[in-house]
Amino acid sequence: MIKSIKVVLLTLVSMAFVATAYADFTFVSWGGAYTMSQQKGYIDTWGPVKNGSTKVSVENYNGGLGEVKAQVEAGNVTWDVVDVLPVDVINGCDEGLLEEIDTSGWQKSPDGTSFNDSIVENGTGASGPISECAVPQIFWTYVIIFDPKNFSGKKPTTMKDFFDVKKFPGKRGVHTWPQAVLEMALVADGVEPTKVNSVLQGDGGTDRAFAKLEDLKGHVVHWSAGAQPLELVSSGEVVMSIVYNGRAGAAILSEGASLDYVWEGQVLDADWVGIPKGSKNKAEAIEFLKHATTCASQAEQAKYITYMPMRQCGTDIIAKNEPWFHTGIDVLPHMPDTEERLKKSVFTDPVWWADHNAELKEQWSAWMAGNK
Amino acid sequence: MSEIITTEGVPLKVSLKRAERINKIRALVLVLPLTLFIIITFVIPIIAMLTRSIDDKQINTVLPKTFEIYKQWDRKQLPSEEMYATIFNEIMTADKRAIGKASTRMNYSKSGWKSLIKKSKRKFKKIKEGPYKEKMIAIDKKWGKIEYWKAIGEMVDPYTFGYFLNAVDLKYDSNKKIVQQPEKRRIYNYTWYKTLKISVLVTLFCLILGYPISYLLATLPLKYSNLLMIFVLLPFWTSLLVRTVSWIIILMRKGVFNSILVWAGIIADENRMQLIYNETGTLIAMTQILLPFMVLPLYSVMKTIPPSYMRAALNLGAHPMHAFYRIYMPQTVPGISAGGLLVFVLAIGYFITPELVGGADGQLIGHWIAYHLKSTLNWGLCAALGTILLVVMLTLYWAYNKIVGIENIKLG
Repeated sequence: MIKSIKVVLLTLVSMAFVATAYADFTFVSWGGAYTMSQQKGYIDTWGPVKNGSTKVSVENYNGGLGEVKAQVEAGNVTWDVVDVLPVDVINGCDEGLLEEIDTSGWQKSPDGTSFNDSIVENGTGASGPISECAVPQIFWTYVIIFDPKNFSGKKPTTMKDFFDVKKFPGKRGVHTWPQAVLEMALVADGVEPTKVNSVLQGDGGTDRAFAKLEDLKGHVVHWSAGAQPLELVSSGEVVMSIVYNGRAGAAILSEGASLDYVWEGQVLDADWVGIPKGSKNKAEAIEFLKHATTCASQAEQAKYITYMPMRQCGTDIIAKNEPWFHTGIDVLPHMPDTEERLKKSVFTDPVWWADHNAELKEQWSAWMAGNK
Repeated sequence: MSEIITTEGVPLKVSLKRAERINKIRALVLVLPLTLFIIITFVIPIIAMLTRSIDDKQINTVLPKTFEIYKQWDRKQLPSEEMYATIFNEIMTADKRAIGKASTRMNYSKSGWKSLIKKSKRKFKKIKEGPYKEKMIAIDKKWGKIEYWKAIGEMVDPYTFGYFLNAVDLKYDSNKKIVQQPEKRRIYNYTWYKTLKISVLVTLFCLILGYPISYLLATLPLKYSNLLMIFVLLPFWTSLLVRTVSWIIILMRKGVFNSILVWAGIIADENRMQLIYNETGTLIAMTQILLPFMVLPLYSVMKTIPPSYMRAALNLGAHPMHAFYRIYMPQTVPGISAGGLLVFVLAIGYFITPELVGGADGQLIGHWIAYHLKSTLNWGLCAALGTILLVVMLTLYWAYNKIVGIENIKLG
């Protein structure tokens, strides 16, 4: 009897031991096609996952740092890697919610560029990580889409057209937060895309943007979830909408949706990854992130979603190997970062937005309430 | 008057009390685990969260000397060299994480502090000695702007009502006088008003729609009422998001409802109605989603009302309307109260459905709580908004108890 108890106990102990050695390593992201691209792009291809010595369990969340803050403050951190927006990675680093990660010695590009320098742009006009806690992921963009079938004559081609309800009558789909909308308003008001940030951040910049938004008064349908704008456009509820370009790309490439882009005045934003402070698997997480940010992994992810690698070397691989998308279609035409498009794009400045987020969100909401 | 004594010679009263006390302790021991559980997992976290709404200690531990000097400052012209030197030293010596948190707090009162502190801390290393004032202004001209200095005036005390003020579109000025927010930032009072209005209207619509349904459910023969019950419960069991999105499909401009009206020739094709992405859509979707919470308590109450009462009233010559009003309805008050309270409480904290179908009108107070919880990490403001919501709810509960009486509530 005692012997059998011993056996059971031993088994339990060894099971517990095994369970810790192969502890689930938690990767948290936004879900949907994006998470799938991360899964196929660099989780499934990671050595320790392939040979079965580590498991990466993937969780979804809705963005923000609320959960991370709760975990860190409670001293019970269960997330190991989290995909965050630029503003959040800045705030999280300032508040000590994310681990500082030194990426300077990570994989160089084939041409010898250091890891940090291979990050094309971080939104402040410089290359390199946006904060000491940030590991590069992808660029995505707020871009205008429309259904060409709804336009018999001229089709919209510029940001001015989006703000011109006389030339192109009909409602516009706009999200319910101010990021990118203010930048777009300034482009429509005639500001050179490359100068938008300095105008917006200068004296009277936001007032000028809000003044331009008056042009859309009464012509806006506001959306709050990423799938909504596609539905709004395809159902004819709006004639044009701001959309996350990855959603539009997926709809076109995978479902054959009839949609076209207005790239001029697009507003590029990014996603970074970070490690919550006090993660129990920090060392593993760093090894994993080194793999996730190689040139090859960066490119591999773009097989499954039309978000652009943050490292130039990733984009180079795609350019050389088109058609790159997993369905056998060229992916670069759906990417925001061709040289020509970048000239007419705005990079949203996360440092400035981290400062002004709350204030402008309140002002924007007041604007929405007064401009139905 | 002689006391009754038990056989042990103790007065009966005392003996009875003792026995009762033992029973009480026994009962207490039985509920103790549950009580502790509730206190630990529910009461303490809520109190801990709510205390954040007045807590301003953190910043006071990072910049104590600066605040000491700040109290003597006249708030009219740029502070003295002494204040510059002090804040310089406090920024340089503070722990990195503490200063990060402090700058976030300072940014709540004036946008720009956050990056100012971070950028300055990096560049301050070049400054080896005073005078600091000009050197700091040379590094970033924001140091020379009086608005930034004025903005930290609201933080000089370790406890603050600033978050509560913020939650109702007010704020402290640099002398801790209460002033209004600049007009373009005023959004919370409007949101409170809208949240209350939508909650009241949804409760009202649920009552108007739910009352006849519940009456039918309670009075129809079993085979019909069962079928009807399934119609009530089926949507109740369907995912919230599915129901919300269904409403979008039905109500949008080129959706089912508008198309039927156009097809029937009731409205012209170009006059399709805007029924979604506005307040109308929010009201329709929320009413449908919360309807079961009204129907079920009403039904459970109506089921217990004997039909003989109504028959007796009619028999005695009452007009059916009069009999309904005087005899039937008063007996359903516990159900109306329970349903109304349930729907109202759920509606006031709702945020996913309004957010998806409400368009510009979709941001109720729950949206702002979630926003500050997740995006700005301003948990002090979250706590203030939450406390106000709790107080509104408790006040309504109190008023209800005064007017109707809490014993008149039946949840099932």
